[in-house]
Amino acid sequence: MVDHINAALFSSDQQFDADIVIIGSGAGGGIAAEQLTLAGFNVLLLEEGAWYTRDDFVMQERWAYPNLYQEGAARKTRDQAIGILQGRTVGGSTTVNWTTSIRTPQPTLAYWQSEFGLTFQAENNLNPFFTKVEQRLNIQPWPVPPNMNNARLQQGCEALGWHYSVISRNVNGCANLGYCGMGCPINAKQSMLVSTIPAAMANGARLISRISVRKLRWQGERVTSVDAVPVDQYFQPRSDVRITITAKHYIVAAGAIGSPALLLRSKVPDPSGRLGKHTYLHPSVISGALFDEAVNGHSGAPQSVYSDQFVWPADNNLAGYKLEVPPLHPVLMATKIIGSGSQHAAMMQQFNHLQATIALLRDGFHPQSQGGSVMLDQHQQPVLDYPITDYLWHGMRRALLSMAELQFAAGARQVLPIHHDANLYSSWAETKAAIAQLPMQILRQTIVSAHVMGGCNMSSSAQRGVVDPYGRHNQLSNLSVFDGSVLPTSLGVNPQLTIYALVWRNCEQLITELSH
Amino acid sequence: MNRRQFLFSGLALGASGSLLLAGWQFSLNPDEDNRGWVLSAILPALLYGALPEDATLAQAALQRSKAAVIDFTAFLPLSQQQQLDQLFNLLANRLSQLALTGHITALPALSITARLGLLNSWRDSYLLILQQAYHSLRELLYGVFYGQPQHWQQLNYTAPEFR
Repeated sequence: MVDHINAALFSSDQQFDADIVIIGSGAGGGIAAEQLTLAGFNVLLLEEGAWYTRDDFVMQERWAYPNLYQEGAARKTRDQAIGILQGRTVGGSTTVNWTTSIRTPQPTLAYWQSEFGLTFQAENNLNPFFTKVEQRLNIQPWPVPPNMNNARLQQGCEALGWHYSVISRNVNGCANLGYCGMGCPINAKQSMLVSTIPAAMANGARLISRISVRKLRWQGERVTSVDAVPVDQYFQPRSDVRITITAKHYIVAAGAIGSPALLLRSKVPDPSGRLGKHTYLHPSVISGALFDEAVNGHSGAPQSVYSDQFVWPADNNLAGYKLEVPPLHPVLMATKIIGSGSQHAAMMQQFNHLQATIALLRDGFHPQSQGGSVMLDQHQQPVLDYPITDYLWHGMRRALLSMAELQFAAGARQVLPIHHDANLYSSWAETKAAIAQLPMQILRQTIVSAHVMGGCNMSSSAQRGVVDPYGRHNQLSNLSVFDGSVLPTSLGVNPQLTIYALVWRNCEQLITELSH
Repeated sequence: MNRRQFLFSGLALGASGSLLLAGWQFSLNPDEDNRGWVLSAILPALLYGALPEDATLAQAALQRSKAAVIDFTAFLPLSQQQQLDQLFNLLANRLSQLALTGHITALPALSITARLGLLNSWRDSYLLILQQAYHSLRELLYGVFYGQPQHWQQLNYTAPEFR
């Protein structure tokens, strides 16, 4: 095993130097570490989370959530209306995601061209990079029949004549266990943790884990150094040791909450006023359904079928949403299922018979969907404020209706919209009438997110973006942002493949620029 | 002190009408006794129907869950930990509890139904701060309870073992 540096073991101040320092080891940082190392640069990769390996992944939520996720998987928006699942470990969210790998939709790229002047057509198209990533991470349509949770989504679509498609996954030797969200215990998932990061390290890249970067120091048009501290056993920043890092080029890849927060703490120039703004979440609503036959949503590839029936409505005043399913594990279900006391206990006893469908709203494509803002709390830690507009509420109500219709069409006995005023309903007609009456309000309607995007958006014009179309910061010449925070809207698909391809392309450009 | 913490304090202070409490009840610092006392009162209500019927087994399940709360909350951001500690501190005091719950009777002296009723009244409160308290306690406590393999029997679920 390649050695790495655990910053938690530092007991005195430290100093490091590299050609390129990469802050964050997720989808962006992982791809960049490998590409830049292969190009001959001396790369130092920093990660706030810990370096765990497959032997640590015990397939239990009580270990995985505090150790592998931001804020113990209990991250919330400022008003606590939206729960956010986001990784914080070597490999970032790629270590804990559900492996869904879908290319950026053409309508999303077309919107970016018209609104942000971003051209991903002709010689600039991303297809060669999608192909490279798909080969590197063994991304292929899942050849195994879907588990029952996903099969119900497919059956509902078939019965209603709705679109559905098999999901491509970044796995190699997958045993169909269903515990991707807790770290793959057999290294089948081709996350950054088992692919690009070990490859980069084998070629000389250094990895420091359990390090929290607090500030970029800068002068004029250049970043001059990085201030960092170790984190304690609970991943809280420590104050007893200081770590200083210098490099020729700095890459921020701390995710769409962490990257804007770091740049805000560093008070970097922000003439566009867009730093930490326009953060998108694919805000998602959930519908539960009870089936007579067991669903066992904890077992088998968590996501293998999706439906795009509603993601691009003809009327742009309607919010589009993608239909997928989540895995069902005891803590995920217990924290999201509604009710308390005996009502909650009774639902939990239906654990193996519950099917769940999620609708991910495509945010950022409408004047009433301008996303959220990252701000800093009194401890200088990030908090995301994400107001929910009538446009989104309307989309969520339509999504609840679509999901209930789908679940009854797939043979559900009862449907339970995950909303604190809802009940179990026994027919589509009854559910339809009930959903029409549900108050669409925060903390009544349960909302979740597993995709954080934006906050350092790219644009062809410095007035409309924080970075240029290749992720280079518009004001600081030796700074790049290489992660999901550069996305100018949400995607309408799970983001990992877009981030991989975009960062791979941006690395090739950066290598060219740094090499002459 | 951020706005949310101020609201919590202001709510309790305004309704209890006693400045004498201010010295400690707004404390954001953890107090093991207060936390344990409040959890002992709330957990049996939230988990009604989920706890084993056998009293000894139920007690063991509660103890496990209380320990798991402590283990887990250390991973939350400091600001969230402080809010939780403040909520526990307020609920452990009779006067501030009155302000938050409408009950002067100490929480453990209320029936399980009454305890559950007051938690549910937070969910339906017009005050955002009480709704948030309901949801944060609910998620935290259901999360730690169902995170324990000993509590999976009633789900008819066992995690796969392949190592």
